[in-house]
This record gives sequence, C-alpha cells and structure tokens, in this order.
Amino acid sequence: MPPPSAPLTPGLASFLKSLKTNPIDTSIDNLISLLKRRQIRHSRSCATATAYLLRSVISACRTSDASKLIERVQSVGRRLIAAQPREMVVGNIVRRVLGLIRDEAEDDRDGDFSLSEAGSESQPQTPRAGDDPSEALYGRHDGSASKPLSSLAAHPISMFSLLSQPESENSLPGSPVSASPSGRLPGHPQNKDIRAEVLDGINEIIDELGQVDDQIAAYALDHIHSNEIILTHTSSTTVQKFLLKAAAKRKFTVIHAESYPNNHEATHATVSGTAPNNDELLSTESFQKPLIAHGITVILIPDSAVFALMSRVNKVILGTHSVLANGGLVASAGTRVIARAAKVHQTPVVVVSGVYKLSPVYPFDFESLIEYGDSSKVIGYEDGDLVEQIDVQNPLYDYVPAELVDLYITNLGGHAPSYLYRIVSDHYRKEDISF
Amino acid sequence: MAPKKGGSAKPRGNATEEVEETLQAVVLADTFETRFEPFTLDKPRCLLPLANTPLIEYTFEFLANAGVEEVFLYGGAHSDQLESYINGSKWRAPSSPFKQFTFLKSTSTSVGDVMRDLDGKHLITGDFLVVSGDVISNLPIEGALAKHRARRQADKNAIMTMILREAGRNHRTKASSVSPVFIVDPTKDRCLHYEEIDHHSPESSRLNIDAEIITTFSEIDIRQDLIDCNIDICTPDVLSLWSDSFDYQTPRKQFLYGVLKDYELNGKTIHTHIIEDHYVARVRNLKAYDAVSKDIIARWAYPLCPDTNLLPGHNYELRKGTLYQEQDVTLARSCVLGRRTVIGQGTSIGDKTTVKDTVLGRNCKIGKNVTLEGAYIWDNVVIGDGTTVRQAIIADGVVLGNKCAVEPGSLLSFGVKIADSVTVSEGRRITKAPREEDGESPAYDSEIVGADGEGYEYVPYDDEDDDETASNASSGLIYNMANLSLSTDSISTLSSEISDYGGSRSGSFATSVSDDEEHDTHFVQDAAASVFDSLRDGVTTDVVQLELVSLRMTANASDHEVRRAVASAFMKHAAQLMEAGQGAGEVVSDIFGKYHEIIERALFDRDSAVKTDQVDFLLLLQQDLVHRNRGETVLLFAAKELYELEVIEEEAFEQWWADERSKNTEELQKVRSQTQQFIDWLASAEEEESSEEEESDDE
Repeated sequence: MPPPSAPLTPGLASFLKSLKTNPIDTSIDNLISLLKRRQIRHSRSCATATAYLLRSVISACRTSDASKLIERVQSVGRRLIAAQPREMVVGNIVRRVLGLIRDEAEDDRDGDFSLSEAGSESQPQTPRAGDDPSEALYGRHDGSASKPLSSLAAHPISMFSLLSQPESENSLPGSPVSASPSGRLPGHPQNKDIRAEVLDGINEIIDELGQVDDQIAAYALDHIHSNEIILTHTSSTTVQKFLLKAAAKRKFTVIHAESYPNNHEATHATVSGTAPNNDELLSTESFQKPLIAHGITVILIPDSAVFALMSRVNKVILGTHSVLANGGLVASAGTRVIARAAKVHQTPVVVVSGVYKLSPVYPFDFESLIEYGDSSKVIGYEDGDLVEQIDVQNPLYDYVPAELVDLYITNLGGHAPSYLYRIVSDHYRKEDISF
Repeated sequence: MAPKKGGSAKPRGNATEEVEETLQAVVLADTFETRFEPFTLDKPRCLLPLANTPLIEYTFEFLANAGVEEVFLYGGAHSDQLESYINGSKWRAPSSPFKQFTFLKSTSTSVGDVMRDLDGKHLITGDFLVVSGDVISNLPIEGALAKHRARRQADKNAIMTMILREAGRNHRTKASSVSPVFIVDPTKDRCLHYEEIDHHSPESSRLNIDAEIITTFSEIDIRQDLIDCNIDICTPDVLSLWSDSFDYQTPRKQFLYGVLKDYELNGKTIHTHIIEDHYVARVRNLKAYDAVSKDIIARWAYPLCPDTNLLPGHNYELRKGTLYQEQDVTLARSCVLGRRTVIGQGTSIGDKTTVKDTVLGRNCKIGKNVTLEGAYIWDNVVIGDGTTVRQAIIADGVVLGNKCAVEPGSLLSFGVKIADSVTVSEGRRITKAPREEDGESPAYDSEIVGADGEGYEYVPYDDEDDDETASNASSGLIYNMANLSLSTDSISTLSSEISDYGGSRSGSFATSVSDDEEHDTHFVQDAAASVFDSLRDGVTTDVVQLELVSLRMTANASDHEVRRAVASAFMKHAAQLMEAGQGAGEVVSDIFGKYHEIIERALFDRDSAVKTDQVDFLLLLQQDLVHRNRGETVLLFAAKELYELEVIEEEAFEQWWADERSKNTEELQKVRSQTQQFIDWLASAEEEESSEEEESDDE
C-alpha cells in the first residue's frame, strides 16, 4: 500500500517514524505541536501517539527509581494535556502508565513480602476509608508492614474483576501477556529494573488500542438481531466494525445520519465504501468492505431527519469521543440530538467505546470540554457580507448526559452508565486522577 | 518487541523517505511597504502582535503545517530585533519542525532585490515556497504542490503556482483599494494576464486584455474575487527570471505582469491554484489587520485560534461568547465582557468597564468606567478611568489618562503617553519614535497629547523637499486627502491606505482629455501605454522616442496627439510612483530629469514668438492633472522642473497662464491654483532670468 505521493503534512505516521530517530525531548515537543495544530486528532490516534511517546520516555529514562519515573511521566503528561486539554484520551493513557509504574513498584515490594507472608493476597479486604493511598505511596520507606494494605487500598479488587479475572490487573482480559504479576518472580532482586516491566505494560496498552475495536465487535451478535433497524451517526470505525461483525451473520437495516458539517465527507465515504486510505488511523479498517457489500441496506439521512425516523428505529448505536466518569459522553456534534430523540421514542441507545476513552473526569463544566472548530464549515468564508455580520460557531462535540444512554459496550463487555465509575476506579489510581 | 502497528508503519515511512524532496521556503519578513507606520518605526512588522501572537508565528505555523523543512528568513528593517526573537523561539530549538533555519540579512529595498540576492547565494535546490512574513493560513499545501510538480514534470516551463483563495465579491479580508484581476485559462489553470484595478477610482477602471488572449483560448476566466496572499510555489527558474529582469521590484505588479507579458519571449507559464476552502490571508495593511484579527477570533482560521496557544507560554481558554481568556486575569465584578474578546495574562479590568470586540494584551491595566470597542490593545497598556477607545490600535506601553477619548482609526505607537481629558481625534497617529530622516524625535506636541503627554503626531508623507515653495505648497495638501474623511466606521480609515490612494487612476489614459477628437483616442491610448510602460521599466530616452515615433508614423497622428500621449503617460507614471510612497517633488524631477528630451522633441515652437506647442503641452498637463490626486502639487513641481530644464520657456508659461483654456472651468482653476506662486516668482525674477533664457533660445 504505497502512498501515491510522500505525505508532506506531518501526522501520526510521521510522528511515529520520527520517534525512532529523534531525541526524546524533541519528540515530546513534536507531539505537543502536532496536538496543538490538530494534525493528530481522533481519540485513537492521540492515544496511540501518547502511548508510543511514553514508551520512549520511559526507555530513555536512565533510572529505575519508581518515584523518579513517575515524576518524569507526570511532567510530560502535564505538558501534553496542556497542549490539547480536550483530547482526554491523552490524559487517560498517561494515567494508565502512571498506574503501571506504581503497580510495578508495589509489586516489587509485594514480591518480597509474599515470600515471607504468603497469605496476603487472599486476605479479605479490610475497610480502608481512612487510608490515603498517596500518603502510603510516598511514605513507602517507612516500613514494610503497611505495604500490602496500601497496595490493596490503591488497587481495590472490584466486583467486575472478581468475575472476569482473579488478578486485579489493569490490563484487559483476553490479552494473555497481562497475567504476568511480579509475584511469580520471587527470586528477583529487590532493586531490579522496573522499567522493563513498565515497558511491557505499555506495549500491552498499545496492543489494546489495536485490538479494541475487534474486542468490542465480538459483542455485536448479542446486541444486533435480525431485521432490526439500527441508527448510527458519524464514521466511527468502532461502530462500523461492530455493525460489520453482526452483518456477517444477520440481516438488518442501518440508518446513517451524515453529521454535517464536520464529518459528512468521511461518513459518505464510509457508507459508500470509498474510504480513502487514511494514514492517520494506521489500520486495515479502511480496506474492509462497506456494510452494503454484505447486503445490508444503509440509508443515509441528514441529521435533521433523525427525529422523524426515530419511531421506526429499534436501536441507536453511537460512537464517542470520550466517556466521562459519570457515564456522560463527549461525542461528535449531533449526538445529543439523536440521544434525546431516542429518549422521546424510548429507543435504546447503545454506546460503543474502548475503555481507553473512559476518562476519570467529572463534567462539572461540560462547556469547557467542547471544542469549537472551523467556522467556515458552516458558512463559506467567501460569503463576505455574512462573515462580516454574523458570529458563526461550529462545535465539534456534544455533551450527552448519562441519563440519555442506556448501555455502554466496551472491550470489557456491556455496562450500565451508572457502573462506569467502577471501571474508572479499576483503571486509574486515585492519586493519578489529578496529577 | 515492536508491536504490530508500529511495525507496519515503519517500512512504509522508510519507503517514502527516498521519494521525498525537501521542501524549502523563503520567508520575506519585510515586504518593503510602509503601511504599518508608525508601529514599524520601532518594531519589524512581522513581530507585531495579531491576537497577541506575533505575526511571524502564524507564518511559521503555516510552513510547519505544510511540511516545510528548510526555511530562509529574510529580515529587512529592524532585522536585529527579528533575529533575536527568532533565536529565542521554538523554531530554532532542536524540536523545530524545520531541519534547517537560516536567517539572512540583506540590504534589499524590494522583493526583487531579495530574490536576486537569493539567486546569487545558490541556496535553493528544488521547488520552494515564497511567502511573506504576514501570511496566515491553515491550508495544507499538499494538493497544490502535487499539482505543481505534476505540471512541472509535464512542462519545464511551468515555473510558478500561485495559491489564491476564492472570496466572493465583497470581503473584509480582501485588499480594498486595489484589487488584483487574474485572467485564467480554467482548463489548464494557467494565468494569462494580471492587472491591478483601483477600487476607489471614481469611474470604472478599465482592463487591458490582449486581443490575442481572447482569440487563442477558447475559455477564459476573468476573476476579481480572489484573495491573493502571495503564497507562491516556485521552481528555481523563477529566481533566474528575477535576476534577468533587474528592474522588477514587486512580485505581482511587475514580476507577474512582466513574465506573463513576455510569454512570447521566454515561454514561461505561471499557474494558479484556486482554493475554495481553508483560510488564507495576508496582513497587508491595517485594514487587513483588523479583518484577520476578527477572522482568527471567530475561528475561521481554525486551528490557528488564540486557544491553540501557539506560543509556549500562552494559556488561552475559550469561554462562552467567543471570549478567550488567559489565566490570572483580574476582572471587577461589575465589568462587562462582550463577545469576540481576547484578554491576556495579568490584565486587570476595573468596575463598570465594558469591553467588546477587543483584543487586550498582557499586563494591561484598564480603569473603571472604561469603554473599549473594537480596539487592539497590546501589552502593558494603562488606561485611566472613564476613557473611551473605539477602533484604534494602542501599542505596547501606552499610557492613557483619565477621561480620554480615542476616536476611530487612531494609532498610538509604543510608549506614547496621553494626559488626562485629551481627545485623540480620528485617524491620528501618534508616536515617540525618532523620525527616520534625521534620527531625532521632535518635541512632544502638547496640543495633541496633552500637557504631561509624550509623543508627537507622525507625519507619513514627509517629503524632504528642500525647496521652500514646494514644502509650503505641499504641507497643506497632503493632509486634506480624501482618505481620512472617507473613513466610515472601520479601521479601513486607518491611513495605512494612504499609499494606495496616492495616484489612483491607473488605466484611464484617454478619458481625461477625450472630449474633443474621438478618432485619435486610439493612438493616444496606445502611445500613452507604450510610453508609460517604458517609463516604468526605466528604458532609455532613445528607445522611448523610437517607439513613439514609429507609433506616430503608423497612426499618422498629429503633434498635438503625441503631446497628449506624452503628458498623459508622464503624469500617470508620476502618480504611480507617488502611490509607491515617493514625494511629489522627487518624482517629478526624477521623471522630467530623465526623459525631458521626449517632451522637447514634441515641441516645435522654440523659435516662434507665440509658443502654441508649449502652451498646448502645459494645457494638456493641466487637464490630465485635474483628475489625479494631488494634481495641484504635481503641476507646480512639473512647471518648475520644465522651466529649470529649459524645456518650456518663460513666455510659454505666461501665455499659458493668460490662456482662456487654462481657466475656463473650476477644476482647471483649482489645479493651477498652486502654480500661482511659481508664476509670480517668474514675473519677479524676469530680469535675471532673461539672459539665460536667450542662451537657451540660441540652442
């Protein structure tokens, strides 16, 4: 798949390429300016770029001291977030990497500890309301007795993980490498290089980013039934894969709202199957057959027609930009209208999203999460008289409150919006939420 | 352990590396214009802040966006300031997207000089971009570049691609006074002809299209709706072309026009790439500064918006109502922040102050009950209580007292201090910077800035005419130019446009005198155009004369018509030079000094007592000047110059002055009113001059 001409405009591909050769500080600055210039956008590209960058940051760090690693990652993370605060996945990935480092640091000590006191893992969870995990972390040189407690406190065994997987790892189920707790390496010296393990962890995150859509799609047959009418929006690849998976087995109808003006071209391309080779996404998705090739009827409608058609729709399936801890969504503009229309017609709204989009942020001021884009997409800039006299706003995202969503499907399965806080606390450690 | 994705990305990246050609860009930091005076007296124009970010940052963003890897920056005025700024910026850091960044100093005085200098340095290896240091664009250049390269592969003579933005009929971001007209062959995107039309000219200007263009091409587009922001993709051939024509100064009016005209000669073609989306603009004057600021604040140039925080230290956030605010802004509870406002760090705004459509820089102190509307206020400005500022630009460190009023179109330059209760009237420009000519700052003018104020009014057209009559005559004139009163409500009134108004009637040779003969206008037009072109290109007198004679022979034109053509061409050229910013006296003496032989050869009454030809010529001059800006001054200078060069004799002046035809309309009277003093002086100095007069008669 050689591109016809050298891609001049920098983007994710050129960033990843340059990451190999450039010194680390250059790469950090480079990513910051790419984020600022919006040359890397979309959740997954941002997440991938961040994960790769942090991997290089950690491998370039010449220390094995966990606290120094954490400091380093925090400082890089802060700069990345400042560069583009509305791409929340950047913060999510940074938080997960921080969590990884903390886990490894504690597992190290756990390893020693479990040698002497083998029962600690199976200990019932003690009430730990008064425990401040960060205090425990920073005070870890005090004595070894409090450590297993604090480690558990900071990383509680959730109901979810009890069911799906015995170890409370923060990696996803189904990736075999994830089950590599340091407890199995009891003979390791105390001051071993935790970097190697953190790097492994980051690689798992990167793998997760690559597989997340397929994992979500695996649930498709549970949710899409024959002869249903499904309404969707935007050209989200997650949604497309989800539908395609179901299309392999069942026949149903898809109504696709075109999401003018910010995403309509991509949507048209998705529907008609003429998606251009998109370097940004770095994936094979763009080569797959469109839904229509599977014999699925796809109806493209303008966003304004959503309400009229909603009465016939059995299910609304939406992609998202990010998911907030209260179950609310920041999704591309137009989503809220669809969700509200669905609410009125009592149509179930299903959101498909990778766990990496799940952000521990509570939307106290959701206005600030919404990015305003290029006004000229709404009204042509060449219309001088109008440009002079009116204010044009083009919000790229909508905030969809949690009560408009009925079900989330992540790579971990389906969840009610009210349950998301639990997944948040599984994936991010408290002390990292506002680092 | 490289993951799957990274693995698949890598080989692809490497494969393209070989094909990739380094894209170079030449940035002209100085565009050799004076439209940003008086601010440019202190600071280079490309460092002036636009929505609190220096202009040049936007240009570099554009280049970085376009994937440019090598940048050559040409500094002009204040290049030391520019250099130190660049050295401290992120573009020189190792993380800069530019692999090579060269700062070139030059003593050039025009774009042409820069290009020729660049050609001499042999720095350019392949296709390159030429942009000026005030371009703001979010255009990815890939498409245009790919087309350019494809065209060049097919045809070596396709040397240049201009990027133009479609913008409808009226647009605030377009240059308002002069609008460029492109004649394009849409099938090949080839530019066939280029001309600039003056918008403000009272009568409709005309366009001269070569008939051949119309007959050769089955389809042509005549487009006047384009924003030309001087982004050109050039091949190295362009540089040699600049070098070949050593007298080209400006990239459009001369270079583009010239190359297109000489297509027969050199066979080079220039193409256009017209875009219908993305933002492209140039901050070419203060009006454009106003328009582009608005565009950026209204997010037309997304992602180049204040909240993108292009500069490392910036932390703007977008609030409701297109309000961009940095951290650490102190707002009084009762102040009202309207829409489209940008407020920088450390700024404090007092009680009951209203701010609307305004850009406020960092660390400004705005008092109570202040009204700011459509103002551009840069850093560290102090505004006292009860002051009103509307549609003005207030530069760094200005102090405005209490209860002042700054009226639309005012420009307060760096460090100016206005005392309490002073009104800065419309369109006034106040500066503290030393004057360019003598390097001294004149005494502060307390009439303008108040008793404790600092600053003096900046006079943009300071013709250094040592001649006392001239300076007397000109001092009144220059300022009652229609320009300032033309001001309706916007910054367009900012005198930035003065230079454009100077000689506004291009392209209307014959109309001024065309009330008598109809049949010969054709000759007059052709001859005038020919002489005018020659004058502009600086051809020698002999050549001009030859052309004129041959034209005259073919058209069997009368002497009167020849004189008319000559007068018309000379005055048009003079007007054009004055438009470019030169003083009237200088221009006139320049032209007549160089080309007086042409006039002499059109006058045949040197020995006769009744100087009909000379009078005729003077009359024609006078008639022509009726329609031109500052015609009175030009006529005065012309009369003086013609007298000193002994082209026209004293008697002719007297006869002309007495002639009925020279005063039978009010306009004619007005034009010649200033020449009165010259005639008076002639009469008084008659005795001493008479001897010389006789000598010249003998020749």
